Amino acid sequence: MTNNWLDMQHSKVFLIEGSNAAENHVMSMKWIRKAQEKGAIIIHVDPRYNRTSAIADIYACIRPGADIAFLGAMINYILQNKLYDEAYVKLHTNALMLASQEFGFEDGVFSGFDEATHHYEMASWSYQTGADKKPKKAHSLDDPHCVFAQLKKHYSRYTMEMASQITGMSSEMIKKIADTMVNNKPGTILYALGMTQHTVGVQNIRCYGILQLLLGNIGKPGGGVNALRGEPNVQGSSDMAVLSGYMPGYLNYPAHNEPTLKEWTKNNGTFRAKFMVNNLKAWFGDQATPENDFGYGWLPKRSLKANHTVYGFFESAAKGDLKMLYVIGQNPMVSNANLSMTFDGLAGLEMLVVHELWETETAAFWKRPGTDPKSIKTEVILLPACYFMEKEGSLTNSGRMVQWRYKALNGPGESRGDLEILDAVFRKVRDLYKDSTDPKDQAMKAAVWNYPKEGMAEAVLKEINGFDLKTGLPVNGIADLQPDGSTSCGCWIYAGCYKGGKNLSKRRDNKTDPGGMGVYPGFAWCWPGNMHVLYNRASCDEKGQPFDPAHKLVWWDAELKKWAGFDTPDVPVATDGPDTPNGQRAFRMTGEGVGRLIAASYKDFDPKEKDKELPRDASYTPKDGPLPEFYEPVESPTENALHPNRKSSPVLKYPRVKGKQPIGKVADFPYVLMTSSIAEHWLSGSVTRNVPWLNELAPEPLIEIPLKLAAKLNLKTGDMAKVSSARGDVTVKVEVTRRMQTLQINGKEVTVVWMPYNWGFQGLSTGVSTNYITIDAVDPVAGTQETKACLVNVVPAEGGHHA
Amino acid sequence: MSMNRRQWFKVAAGMGAGLALADLGVNVQQVHAATRGMKLNGTAEYTSACNFCSCGCGMICHVKDGKLINLEGDPDHIINQGSLCSKGAAMAAVPNSPQRLKKPMYRAPGSSDWKEISWDDAYDRIARKMKDTREKTWKATEMDGDKQLVANRTDAIAFLGAAQNTNEECYLITKATRLLGTVNVEHQARL
Repeated sequence: MTNNWLDMQHSKVFLIEGSNAAENHVMSMKWIRKAQEKGAIIIHVDPRYNRTSAIADIYACIRPGADIAFLGAMINYILQNKLYDEAYVKLHTNALMLASQEFGFEDGVFSGFDEATHHYEMASWSYQTGADKKPKKAHSLDDPHCVFAQLKKHYSRYTMEMASQITGMSSEMIKKIADTMVNNKPGTILYALGMTQHTVGVQNIRCYGILQLLLGNIGKPGGGVNALRGEPNVQGSSDMAVLSGYMPGYLNYPAHNEPTLKEWTKNNGTFRAKFMVNNLKAWFGDQATPENDFGYGWLPKRSLKANHTVYGFFESAAKGDLKMLYVIGQNPMVSNANLSMTFDGLAGLEMLVVHELWETETAAFWKRPGTDPKSIKTEVILLPACYFMEKEGSLTNSGRMVQWRYKALNGPGESRGDLEILDAVFRKVRDLYKDSTDPKDQAMKAAVWNYPKEGMAEAVLKEINGFDLKTGLPVNGIADLQPDGSTSCGCWIYAGCYKGGKNLSKRRDNKTDPGGMGVYPGFAWCWPGNMHVLYNRASCDEKGQPFDPAHKLVWWDAELKKWAGFDTPDVPVATDGPDTPNGQRAFRMTGEGVGRLIAASYKDFDPKEKDKELPRDASYTPKDGPLPEFYEPVESPTENALHPNRKSSPVLKYPRVKGKQPIGKVADFPYVLMTSSIAEHWLSGSVTRNVPWLNELAPEPLIEIPLKLAAKLNLKTGDMAKVSSARGDVTVKVEVTRRMQTLQINGKEVTVVWMPYNWGFQGLSTGVSTNYITIDAVDPVAGTQETKACLVNVVPAEGGHHA
Repeated sequence: MSMNRRQWFKVAAGMGAGLALADLGVNVQQVHAATRGMKLNGTAEYTSACNFCSCGCGMICHVKDGKLINLEGDPDHIINQGSLCSKGAAMAAVPNSPQRLKKPMYRAPGSSDWKEISWDDAYDRIARKMKDTREKTWKATEMDGDKQLVANRTDAIAFLGAAQNTNEECYLITKATRLLGTVNVEHQARL
């Protein structure tokens, strides 16, 4: 989230698209309803009318996977009718920067595309630059070469009529939503997996960024782009880089073409290299020196050709390449798409290790009904883990708030906390290598790893916060971190969580709220630097004064000559005023220092840098395009109306494994299936399906179908239906409902059906897993599967009719 | 309105299902407060935060004789101000659930059953398998076309999961896996 839960009370309009917040993030409603009581308008865009729709002021039904057509039409409408916030756009975005003259887009493809490799060369997605290597700027938004003009041109194809045809929404509804967003500011956008589980997931969210920048809604209280994240600590686990592509704090993970720290810095910049050095100091201590590149060479390097992501694991295991999988509190045998592939992967392993509370479907995959355990050669070790209240440690919520949890009781039997287990396993492996001089074993031997048994979690949190290595004291914030190895920090964005030697995640001051803005700076701690609204410098004008003085959050205090506010100001240096370049960098984490309408390919060079080869920072560009473009889901019931020759994303690779990843055709599978969780069961259900009263509330999987389809198939609520896709079939109970709709898409009827995916063959409540039929085509950038849109057929199951 | 937790209990106890009983002449507020007091007498309170979605709602665990006897929303928490949803409230069932695993279990290749093993045995088997796999599958370098690149890793070991874990556990997963020589580290964020 750019903002946070409490901040939602300041919003005047909510666009909730791709989230059923009322069921899946229930407590968000405390703050959303507070705003609604004050007159805020709630817009809910979703293929399914759910409990969030029920409290919305405006509900719009959209076809799954058609979001970019809808959002593109809103962007076009705002641009064509000059409804954008011109002062904000000129000051805080790259609108005026001159795009490269090589940049282009034709028939569904951006410039630089190589058809043979499905790969874009990004050079033409850059700027026209001056002698200082900085982007040249136009004087007016009317300049035909500026980014703003390119944006206008790109979205001019997204007319209301076109969007209506693709999405199934009426032109009037799209216009109504756009006008509501324009006329009610600040406005916020909330999303969840409904937007990310697509093969265009990253570009879906890029639309939000563009829209909010045009409306001037980023950095302001009540504004922002807010991901309602789906797991208790998925924010923290991402921050800590439990992802193959990152080091902690979203530093790009070193690749095999970056053998030295200098090569890595050429691609990532000196600004981030400083944090990499601090990370390496945290891991290798005294063994990390400037002479040995701070131990950079010890890190394994990721391949740019191999698939190091979760779907790659199971494909690799099924081939026999991945031998050992170690799973901690995840249940892929229910939650992965295309479960047959996941099963083949588990069966292809030599050893599976699982830390769990329960005997999950993953741990017990060899017991799957219909499987002969004798045929499964995988060795399985299942370790009893402690629940969150049976151990201590911190977690980070969606608003980046890091809070401490105390141990309340011991876990049952011989269960142990994951921290203790990980520590023991690592030490045990390291012991096996104690006499090794092999270079491959030196990383673990050089590492600092001597955590105390008592207070281990706090010792680790201190390492994450970092130390001044001269004094041995914890650093107080990011500004303390040095590039020369004199400080360490395990995750640079958490620097300061142990400020003054105190664990700030334990703070509980729920009374002090300067300005009454709901910031509560003394309650727990937010990364970075206890900042609650990211990019908050953008809530101020050129002179550093709030655009809206009635809802001010931060400002330049000319008397004190520093940035001040109710929240930590998001500026590079607190004393660099608006008359300095730093004081105008409202989006300091981009190379350009401004919000990026086009995600241009750009490296920022610092003229003061001694080594002219090294950029200060490098901006991020998604590999599937600098601007969001609408592409149909891999399994789609219709053609791409914008460019019939380019139906799905050109950089997409699917199937990845021949014969295991079939693509269904609309002639065989005429309906669109979307899946999600429900209020009573959570994700794979490993916890909730072991809670008896939740099982009573929601006892079994089902399919919701619209009235029209029910009439056609002669199905009634309570009947059984067989739901099949190109990957398999499941038989479940039918619920006939007005929630789901039959839409008019490109002149034809398209029916959308829905299923929850929370069941499996283990636990107190068992049921078929919907993910046997979902598709594991993934977003080319994020690697997230397209579980929100695939094609299925529905037929009455034999003997399933009421007598 | 500003209240501490005790005041909140008193007010909350006076609301809800009490109206019908009040007609019978019972002082509902007193009865509720007293029964609640009995239930929580002698308990230790620990603050925590919910483990389902990412709202980060505050919770209070009441523990007596090492058992969780009550779980409720933390009224002093800035986000949920005492409320919990259907799933959050249901977490009270987990520590006392008979379904919880209590011992390390081992399933041999081709076997139809688990057997109990000791923690030391489990650690030994895991560590030996990791070493053995590293030895057999290590790539010091790899080819990209005709270019030799540094790999310094094994692709035969992978780790999955951590969104259910604390920041400290996540950090050690990241650190341990990279030190062991694999970049195959993923979790629920990808899904």
